[in-house]
Amino acid sequence: MTDIRPHDDGRLADLLPLCSEALRDLRPLLSRVRQGVSALTLRDGAIDPGALETHQFAAHGFAWLATYAEALTQLLHWAERLGEAHRLGELEQLILQAAFGEYLNQIFGGIPMSQMEFVRLGDFGLDDADAATFETPAIARLRRWGNSDTVRRKIAQSVAEGPDFGNPGLEDETLDMIREQFRRFTEEQVVPHAQGWHLKDELIPMTVIDAMSELGVFGLTIPEEYGGLGMGKTAMCVVTEELSRGSLAVGSLGTRSEIAAELIRLGGTEAQKQDYLPKLASGEILPTAVFTEPNTGSDLGSLKTRAVRQDGAFRVTGAKTWITHAARSDLMTLLVRTLPESRDWRGLSMLLAGKPRGTDDVPFPADGMTGSEIRVLGYRGMKEYELGFDGFRVPEANLLGGVEGQGFKQLMATFESARIQTAARAVGVAQSALETGLRYAGERIQFGKPLSAFPRVYGKIAWMVVETMLARQLSYFAAREKDGERRCDIEAGMAKLLAARVAWANADNALQIHGGNGYAEEYPISRILCDARVLNIFEGAAEIQAQVIARGLLGGRN
Amino acid sequence: MKVLVAVKRVVDYNVKIRVKADGTGVDTGNVKFTMNPFDETAVEEAVRLKEAGKATEIVVVSMGPQQAQDTIRTALAMGADRGILVGSDTELQPLAVAKLLKAIVAKEQPALIIVGKQAIDDDSNQTGQMLAALLGWPQGTFASKLAIDGERAEVTREIDGGLETIALALPAVVTVDLRLNEPRYASLPNIMKAKKKPIDALTPSDLGVDVTPRLITLKVEEPSRRKAGVKVANVAELVSKLKNEAKVI
Repeated sequence: MTDIRPHDDGRLADLLPLCSEALRDLRPLLSRVRQGVSALTLRDGAIDPGALETHQFAAHGFAWLATYAEALTQLLHWAERLGEAHRLGELEQLILQAAFGEYLNQIFGGIPMSQMEFVRLGDFGLDDADAATFETPAIARLRRWGNSDTVRRKIAQSVAEGPDFGNPGLEDETLDMIREQFRRFTEEQVVPHAQGWHLKDELIPMTVIDAMSELGVFGLTIPEEYGGLGMGKTAMCVVTEELSRGSLAVGSLGTRSEIAAELIRLGGTEAQKQDYLPKLASGEILPTAVFTEPNTGSDLGSLKTRAVRQDGAFRVTGAKTWITHAARSDLMTLLVRTLPESRDWRGLSMLLAGKPRGTDDVPFPADGMTGSEIRVLGYRGMKEYELGFDGFRVPEANLLGGVEGQGFKQLMATFESARIQTAARAVGVAQSALETGLRYAGERIQFGKPLSAFPRVYGKIAWMVVETMLARQLSYFAAREKDGERRCDIEAGMAKLLAARVAWANADNALQIHGGNGYAEEYPISRILCDARVLNIFEGAAEIQAQVIARGLLGGRN
Repeated sequence: MKVLVAVKRVVDYNVKIRVKADGTGVDTGNVKFTMNPFDETAVEEAVRLKEAGKATEIVVVSMGPQQAQDTIRTALAMGADRGILVGSDTELQPLAVAKLLKAIVAKEQPALIIVGKQAIDDDSNQTGQMLAALLGWPQGTFASKLAIDGERAEVTREIDGGLETIALALPAVVTVDLRLNEPRYASLPNIMKAKKKPIDALTPSDLGVDVTPRLITLKVEEPSRRKAGVKVANVAELVSKLKNEAKVI
């Protein structure tokens, strides 16, 4: 019989079967929670919006619980794939073990939806005795010994010695080569300058953007017949992760092209595809997404900017805000209300609105359009703007898809890709925080030894390693689902939700390792912290993301 | 002009090397491998020659385990045209590599061979020179500049105390130093194109070369650790220690 206690090195015997068993044992708990939350939020088998709002905490908690379960599932699959390829090393096993140990403990003890909101099984209507019945021997064993101090010390030691932070497990020669090339590009062309761009609040130099165009970043997922590379979302994740590791803004330049290209590829007419996609792919056109308004963020259906037809063109009037890279871009994907009598999403249309590229002196040269910069804590390099439109002209032919009232649906169709890409950005930022914290912990000597020798420091590093891998594998999973042309709104949302929290936790804790120095602007971790903060906000705030996941799960998906 | 470039798969320069406990070599299990940086420079130079219209085809050769194919693929993604992998699971020493290359040269008939001046794993710095000797071709080693002019190659060499510029009659062997150029990043389109470029697989016996090692590694050990220094109280003590302990004055 297997000894249930760990070996002296902290490792549990028969780890993969054990994790597999624990996951299987977790299923009844998930069903029970789902039943509990369904009872609170469904009426006649359908979601009751009022009840969903009243029981938002439990519903979002369910989304988080399901996200944890999916993350563990994907991490186990990762370990199994590596095992089959004979590449499951000690570090990867330790990551798997710690992840199961910690997340199972959080599932039973309280999942932090944010630093101050813990969802507990009691919130789903389970009392302590109920909860205890779900704790099987496999779960108990992993909870007790999975994420021990010994395991954390060994993980931190392993990553300090290198060469890596665990095999990403893509098992694909081409993707490995892409990662290597983009890692080198980032190391040499981005990392040395990122802090300077941030502190001086500069736009990313065009030379860097041109180099990225040449490397093919902007055409990555655009089909080959439209001048792109047709490479799929997994490749996009790898590239995005590596670029974001150097600078969130650099990793995010691709997001704009990705969203614009998806909008046009999925919603555009053939002429629009032929016209725009090749130019987006080559980087000749830098696009920007113009959706949000001062009073319309997550509730897009209520947006007010209107466009009326006049002499063969739309005349746009209204205010937009949080428009990233607005001045230096050439094409706006502009969400407007073209059906004035409508009050909800059905009256919205998407315009492909060209504009001259602005300069420092004249950021918005177009007639009928003004803009002003919004100063921000981080995520600098493209700049954020408020825009005002007053009779701004867009030719009628530039209505996406040629039919009015499709704008919201067209935009929704891009959310999966945008969220996967954002999850990858978050993984990149999380990785950069981890590496920055690790380096400092190794160099800084206090009380006669490096910081990394202290349990509270190596413990932080180890957990960053573990959770970054969880977020990474969940992101790759969502990307593979998308590449397989399977619906993945829930999976993409989960990946984004988790990765954003991980990036923030890593940045905050890596800064903590730096002590006072981390609070100095001179140290890159101060920038990484500011960058990481936005990940929980943009592309669907954490609360909206949990809502979308909860709705999907309760409404019968999965 | 056909250019032949040889590339070696080596442990990545970022990896902290660990010596095997039994002292027989370096631990290469679960370690990241990349193209030898000097060879990256060699590939880059060949691609630049092609872009400048001086080279017509670039053939890249690697030798070693099956995974050396990844190294060839990287060279193809940088712009080389096709690859040759000489598969071998036994250790290939510089003389064996030079002989294998000579056999490939006989088949391929290149006008120029560019190789890294050394590999960062064993630092032998021998293959290029041995190959030139076996072929009876001129050689320009440690190139920091290379210019092709018709049937001549002009090579600027980094030597102790300065630079030496020599002219070689082609065909010739050039070994390159890192300062020759800055290798490019393989772009996504070129990475995709590289997937379709051919790589021929050969073995040493296909080429009729005996690759039995001629050198025996007796022992591999880590450099000794630096000992902690001492503080001296005054000049007299310093002089005394230099005289009696260090015995340098």
